[in-house]
Formats: sequence, structure tokens, C-alpha cells
Amino acid sequence: MATRQRRAKGVSPKAARLGKRAQNKERTKKEILRAALELFSKKGFFPTTTKQISTRARIAEGTLFNYFKTKEDLALYFFEQELAGLTEWYRSQTKLQRSSLAEKLFAIIHRHLERISPYEEFIGAVYLRALQPVSKLNLLSLETQELNVRYLRFIQEVLREAEEEGEIPRVGDFGAYAFGLFHLAIISYWLQDGSPGKENTLALLDRSLKVANSVLRKGTWEW
Amino acid sequence: MVKERPKGQIGRGFRIGKLGLALTGSYLGYQFQNLFLNEQERPERRKSFNRKAAGQIRAELESLKGPVMKLGQILSTQFHFMPEETLTELAKLQMRAPAMHATLAQAQFKASFGKFPEEVFRSFTEEPFAAASLGQVHRAVTKHGQEVAVKIQYPAIRKAIEDDFKLLRSATLPVRVTGHATESMIAEIEGGMLQETDYVNEGQNIDFFREQLKPLNYVRVPVVHWDLSTDRILTMSFVAGEPLLDFIASQKPSQEMRNRIGVQLVEMFSLQIHRLRALHADPHPGNYLIETNGTIGLVDFGCVKKFSAGFIEIMRAFEERVWLRGEEQCRRMAGLIWGGGVLKKPRLALELLKGAINFYEMLFPGLKGGGRVVDFGDAKILNAMFQILNDNVRNKMVNPEFAFYARAEMGLYNLLHLLRAKIDTSSILEKFGGSDE
Repeated sequence: MATRQRRAKGVSPKAARLGKRAQNKERTKKEILRAALELFSKKGFFPTTTKQISTRARIAEGTLFNYFKTKEDLALYFFEQELAGLTEWYRSQTKLQRSSLAEKLFAIIHRHLERISPYEEFIGAVYLRALQPVSKLNLLSLETQELNVRYLRFIQEVLREAEEEGEIPRVGDFGAYAFGLFHLAIISYWLQDGSPGKENTLALLDRSLKVANSVLRKGTWEW
Repeated sequence: MVKERPKGQIGRGFRIGKLGLALTGSYLGYQFQNLFLNEQERPERRKSFNRKAAGQIRAELESLKGPVMKLGQILSTQFHFMPEETLTELAKLQMRAPAMHATLAQAQFKASFGKFPEEVFRSFTEEPFAAASLGQVHRAVTKHGQEVAVKIQYPAIRKAIEDDFKLLRSATLPVRVTGHATESMIAEIEGGMLQETDYVNEGQNIDFFREQLKPLNYVRVPVVHWDLSTDRILTMSFVAGEPLLDFIASQKPSQEMRNRIGVQLVEMFSLQIHRLRALHADPHPGNYLIETNGTIGLVDFGCVKKFSAGFIEIMRAFEERVWLRGEEQCRRMAGLIWGGGVLKKPRLALELLKGAINFYEMLFPGLKGGGRVVDFGDAKILNAMFQILNDNVRNKMVNPEFAFYARAEMGLYNLLHLLRAKIDTSSILEKFGGSDE
């Protein structure tokens, strides 16, 4: 233990250089994403060119390709960032942690929708693209698997809290998968929801979670 | 073996209700199934309804609340064709509205206002302090330090009401065929409920009543904060006081105080009917907040009825006791109340009119020289009114405009009954009736 601590403190100059480089790299990636999102929400996902993105991010177009081979890679990076942000937010919500499972799950999806709402057009485009079997954004593509697993683990963590407190019976991995599909379904509903403030989505989300909760608690499908 | 099918119109209504239930996820269908079960099935069904469902159904209804609750509230005060057990369950509903959890209430606030409550108010209490049937009310303090009540509507309630009425129209087909619930009556209730979903309209009602009720210095009406309101969010000044039932239970008011509050309630009602031609028509006891000095805080102005000239004429006919002027006047009065069609059945018309007049004289005995004080603690007034509504509905004689009026009137007598108030009603009528002409 003591040795490890000493090593951590006494970082070699090479490692420090590498660490700094990684940090810089991450900063550039974020800068590119920021520039891209601005363009996506202004011009749309499909019409935006990589040249426009690199100009806006003030980097050479070649450098852009070093970071993201395609716009799809950029989209994937966006979702990674979103998931990280969402997870971090959830863990910081101490009051929410004491709420019912239905409220926690409601809050997670609602927070997600709030976060992505400035990029609605972009998300819609990504949804369409993801339907293509050859797309990297497809739910079954290898590229999305890492992200999927990270998401499932996060939801599993939330469900496990409720399982351990006896709020719901054990639902295992199935619960996380089912919720993931529900989450996607809600996003597609939200994308086409034309009601004021998208309040239909809120009602659907609340009602569905209440029904699911009641089914889970009673351990029967007859509610 | 032939699968047994529900027979006839009643069975069809039952199936349509069930189908609608499955399609819309509305529990209204379940409530209405009870109406279509035949007499033999009903007792069985009722027992199981009560046994199994008492807690469970209510919890689930509460989770959907909104239209079901509101409609239940109207039906339970208005329509006497509901089985009593169902009425009891529905009556509980209106008292115990469920809460949107904090996250949903805040999300809905954001959806309608564009910002979260914590960005708008200095402080905002996540726990609601009162349930409104189409939403719930939270306490908050504005950035300027004013204490306010923020009413937040359950999301997409308007659409839910429209869906439920679509279902109601198909499910009550048998009832409509027999004429017990006319299309115009259903339309009147739907219109009223949809109006209640518009909080801008409610805010305007508050402004109107605050101005118009000024002559009654014991009435307190909130002030709308228009800059913090939308069609689904209504921010108004906080009105102090205890809901009437709580007030009676906790303060154990003297008979004198009970009478005083009763007189005030009747005066308020009379002023609205005779001068304003508009009525705060939500008789829920929770809408009257009483302070220890007996003043009345009036809240929830979603359901306001503005009366037509025809209705005012009916009121005047009662006041002037035109029936004393002979048969022609009686016919005119019946025609005003139930429409021209009633005159084809003169005997029925006379019978119904007699019932209405008897009831009126029971309410205002002083007008024909009897004792002046009416004891509302005696249930006979409520029972008589139930009887009249029942007779009207049974004989398919319902004036849709009365749907809201009767709901409010019944609500008033119910409040007076709870207060066990003794009131000189005739003097109040003399004070407010017809005096603006």
C-alpha cells in the first residue's frame, strides 16, 4: 500500500508528459464536440460537413480525423459524455437517492431529456442513422457495446438499491435491459411529442413507471 | 360450447367500456362498468368491489386521478344513478388526491414555465400542501419575499379528459338511449372540466371574484401573480385558514359561530346568484378556508358558472312565486326549467314543478309567513334535494345548465349541514334577491 502511494506521488517525467497529453487530447475532443453540436443545432446533423466542424473548432481538418473518423464517432462520443454526465449527476443527488424507485427512474430519464433537449434535431438524425444495420450507432454494433454495458451497469446499480431495500423483488440484468429499451422508447416518443412543453412525455413516463412499479411490487401482471 | 356473451345494450356498453379501458388505460371504464351490470350481478360485484378493491382500486385511481377524480366528484354530487358503493369510493377520491412526486411536479413546472421552480422562487416547498383535483398546490416564497401558493397541473390532463369523454360517450350509450344522461348534459360537464384545465381562465375568475365580492368584507380571495403563472401553473397569494371540516374538528366552534359562518356562506351564494350571475361552483369543503374570527378564504376558482338570461328568469320566477298567479304562469315556469317538451306531459310537469316549489318553500319558509329560521343540521333538506334530482333524472327531465348549479347548491347545503347551522334564509334572500333591478 505504502509503495503504491509513493509511486503515485512520484510520477516519472515521462508519465507526467503522457498524462498531460491525454488531458490535452480530451480537451480538444470536447472542443470539437462543442463546435459540432453548435453546428448540428444550427444546420442539422446531415448537412454539417467535417470541414465546417474543424473550422469552427479552429483545428486542421486532418487533425479532426485523428480524433473522430466520422460524424458517427462524434455522435458516439457525445453519448458517452452524456452518460458520464448523467451518472455523475445522479450520484450527486443525495435527496433523490432517498426517493422511491419510480421517482429515481423518472428523474434519470427526465434529466437525460433535459440535457439533450438543445440538440433535439441532432438526436433525431442519430436515431434515424442508428436504424441502419451498418451504422456504428446501431444498438447491436460492436462500437456501441461498451457504452451499452456502461449504461446497463448504471441502471443495475439503481435497481439494486431498490432490490436491497426490498422495494422491488429481484429483477437482475433483465430489469436493466427492459428499462434501457423503455428509455429508448421514451426518447422516440419525446422526439415526436408536439404537446406544449412536451408534457405528454411527462405523463406517459409517470404513468408507465407507476404501472411497472405496481406490477413489480405485486409480482403479478394483473394490476 | 358457445361462449357466453353479454346480452343487449347493457352488455354492449359493458364490453365497450372494457375495450376502452384496455385501449386508453383509463380507469373511468371500470367505474362505468358498474353502471351496466344488471341487478342480479350488481350485489355480487359490489361485494367483491368493496372487499378487494377498497384500498387497491383507490390507490390505482389515485395514481391516475385527474379526470376520473373530477368526474367522480361531479357525479357523486350530481348524478344519482351511480351505485352507492361507487359513490362512496369516489367521495373518498375527491378528499384524498395523490401527489405528483417532487421530480414530476418540478418537471411539469419547467415544461410549462420554461424554468425550474428553484430558479424562479426564493424558496419552493417540494411537498404539496393541498391537492387540487387536476393538480396540486405547493407553498413558495417569491424573490420579493411574498408567500404564495403555486398550483401545478398534472401533465397532459386536458388530453386525458378528452380521451375519457370519448370513452364515456361510447360507454354510456345505453344510458343515453334510455335518456338518463343526455348528450347536452355530458357536453356541459365536459366543457366545464376542460375549462378547469385552463389556469389563465381560473386566474381571470379570481380577479373577477376578488373585485365583485368586495361588498362582503369577511371573504378573502387570493391575488394572482400573473408574471409567475401560465395556463398550467397558477401562482397566487397564500390564503390562510383551515379547511371547513378541519376548522369544525379543531376549533369546535360555538353555535353562534357556526350560524355566522353559515349566514356568510348563504350570503356569498346569494350575492353570486342574484348580483353577479356567476357562481363559484366547486362546493368541495376544502375550498373554504376558515380563520378563527370566522372569515372565509375562498380558493379554487376553476369551476365558475356564468348563467344565461333564461336561467336568471327561472330564478326570478321562484322569487316572485309566480305559481300563485295561476296555471298559465306555472306552465311558463315549467317550460323555462325543462324546455318546451315538458308541456306535452302536463301532469308530469305539474308534479315536478310542485316538487321544486315545495323544496323552495322548505328553504325559504319565511316567504310565505312561516318560521324564518332553517335548521340545516336536519338532513331533510339534503334528502329532499336528492329526491328532486332523482325524480328529474328518472323522468329524463334535466336542464343541463342546472348540472353545475345543482352541484353547487347541493354542496352549499352539505356545508351548512356539516356546520349544523341555523339560518334565517328568507332575510338573506330579501337582502340580495332582485334588488339590483
